[in-house]
Amino acid sequence: MTLTERDPAPVGAVAPALALEARAVEHRFSPGRGLPAVSFSHAGPGCLAVVGSNGAGKSTLLRLLAGLLRPTAGTLTLTVDGGEVPFPARRRVVGYVSPELSFYDELSVGENLDFVASARGLASPAERVRVSLERVGMTARADDRVAALSSGMKQRLRLAFALLHQPPVLLLDEPGSHLDSEGRDVTESIIDGHRRNGLVVLATHDERENQRADSSIRLRGGLGHSA
Amino acid sequence: MIARGILFVWIAVWTVIALVKAPLVPGLGGTTRVLYFHIPAAWVASIALAWSMGHSLLYLWRRRIEHDDHAASAAELGLVFCIGATITGSVWAKAVWHSWWNWDPRETSIFFVLLVYGAYLALRGSIEGEERRARLSAIYSAAAFVTVPFLMFIVPRIYFSLHPDPIINTSGKMHMDPLIRISFFAMLLGFTGLFAWMLSMRVRVLRLTRRIEAGAAAPALEGTV
Amino acid sequence: MPTPASGSAAVWAILRKECLSEWRTRYGLNAALLFAVTTLASVSFAVGRLGDRTDVLAAMLWIVLLFAALSSLSHTFVREVEGHTLTLLRMSAAPTPIAVGKLLFNLLFLVMIELVTVPLFLVLMGAPPPNWPSLLLILALGSLGLALAATLAGAVIAQSRGRGALYAGVSFPLLLPVLAAAVSATRAQWSGAGMAMEIRLLASYAFALLAASLILYDHLWED
Repeated sequence: MTLTERDPAPVGAVAPALALEARAVEHRFSPGRGLPAVSFSHAGPGCLAVVGSNGAGKSTLLRLLAGLLRPTAGTLTLTVDGGEVPFPARRRVVGYVSPELSFYDELSVGENLDFVASARGLASPAERVRVSLERVGMTARADDRVAALSSGMKQRLRLAFALLHQPPVLLLDEPGSHLDSEGRDVTESIIDGHRRNGLVVLATHDERENQRADSSIRLRGGLGHSA
Repeated sequence: MIARGILFVWIAVWTVIALVKAPLVPGLGGTTRVLYFHIPAAWVASIALAWSMGHSLLYLWRRRIEHDDHAASAAELGLVFCIGATITGSVWAKAVWHSWWNWDPRETSIFFVLLVYGAYLALRGSIEGEERRARLSAIYSAAAFVTVPFLMFIVPRIYFSLHPDPIINTSGKMHMDPLIRISFFAMLLGFTGLFAWMLSMRVRVLRLTRRIEAGAAAPALEGTV
Repeated sequence: MPTPASGSAAVWAILRKECLSEWRTRYGLNAALLFAVTTLASVSFAVGRLGDRTDVLAAMLWIVLLFAALSSLSHTFVREVEGHTLTLLRMSAAPTPIAVGKLLFNLLFLVMIELVTVPLFLVLMGAPPPNWPSLLLILALGSLGLALAATLAGAVIAQSRGRGALYAGVSFPLLLPVLAAAVSATRAQWSGAGMAMEIRLLASYAFALLAASLILYDHLWED
């Protein structure tokens, strides 16, 4: 595993407000599948790209960061506001976008987000839903059933879901998939807006998306054929 | 190796004594003989269940895969002993009560234990991924653990049972021939030893299988194994 | 650390979501009611009016309720897995509030089924008038036990390969104490015998399962 720091973030004596550190973190679903041991560290706001071919473990790494998975070996720490965030609490500080994230087809766009906002216990759920929908340009679609959305609109809804609780960390797994040029613009403006104060972790095999990151983690191959 | 030899000779000798030498309990007649196998088998089925559930709880607490190996192995062996206890009990019931099965509370209890073992193993077989299988089957096992006292102790108390009290509890009441008691406890010890030995083998097999699979998946690590 | 306030907000949000989804699709309730009525009708055709055979009546009532429960209570979790919405759910709330919300929904669901099934059963089977306060107490405690056992087993089974096929077999050992005590108590309320032991058994089992569930729910999803 290599970490190419193009813009090394300063690591001082003071605990950084935002930091990621992996020490030989690994996850296996079963022998031969998952994420092989990887180590890297990153501190401060910015955009971090995770690159690698299909099956290299990009999605697994993001699921580990989101607290959806526990490492089978090694450690993966996420620090927010100087405090380490344990796995069960990560869902509060990260916004997670992934192609496998699905919504309730029988509910409308607004109802789906309303549910998430109230389940998260947000202070003013209706307001948060309105702002998030506006951010991804879906205000007019709030009353449409999710079943009726195109795949591009579903991808925007995933972004709205991730922004709902204003998380300091955004984990974006293939955010460009299914999007038209307008959707890509929305995604790019969200990434650019977020990286100034927060951290964006971008998993992609698109080299152009990778170019825009401050630094990148390259994953090589899956567990089955690691050298 | 020596322990295994002693165990083998021990069980062989006491089996012969139990079948040939030990006198019969008055009232039970020739059916006394089956009890030297029925009760130890039921005993092992119970401790295997307790062992399996104990290790399930330990797994949830400490998350070491070895606990799952113990829980799974004990359940597999427990099922075998439980089937043995059920069949010998049913044979005995046919001879004494003139019916193979009549839902006596004891029969209900052992049927329940069979169900739990069966459900636990069926569940294990249907979950993919080592960690997920270990975690979910431990959750199920812990839930079944809550159910056991209700079915094992409370239900038999509500309903009248024809089953003779376990000999261990009534050794004071029953005037038993010393040889009956000695051979009974010797068989109990032998069966327990047999279970412990089989369990350690099964756990070792699981551990080695895991090591081989990990080795095949990551040949680079071969030197460190 | 999740505070009790945020936990209860999540429980309510889950319960509301489940109700709204169920209302929109009406998939589970229709199936369960149809199932209960079908079972009831086949039992009724097969044995006719049982009249004063209260021992058989008590068993039949709980078998009908058990079948209705088994046909539908795993649905709340299986639907999340099959619709791939589990990730959304897990990102939105902690495992325990999710499971408690679903438990409350399952309980509500059972009550709805009982509202239809129990009166229909009493009429179709020609049962003698029950001791209503006792019967309602038995139904309440029995439903609580059924819902607790079925929810826990459903959460586990939803993550297995077999899902529906294994559900009956896996949940049955957990449902057995409820079934045994509820049948015995229902028989007793018809015959006028004492049923304090059975009520205690039902209540303590529900309590034990609730305590175990609240501890175990925390481990439901980690991969």
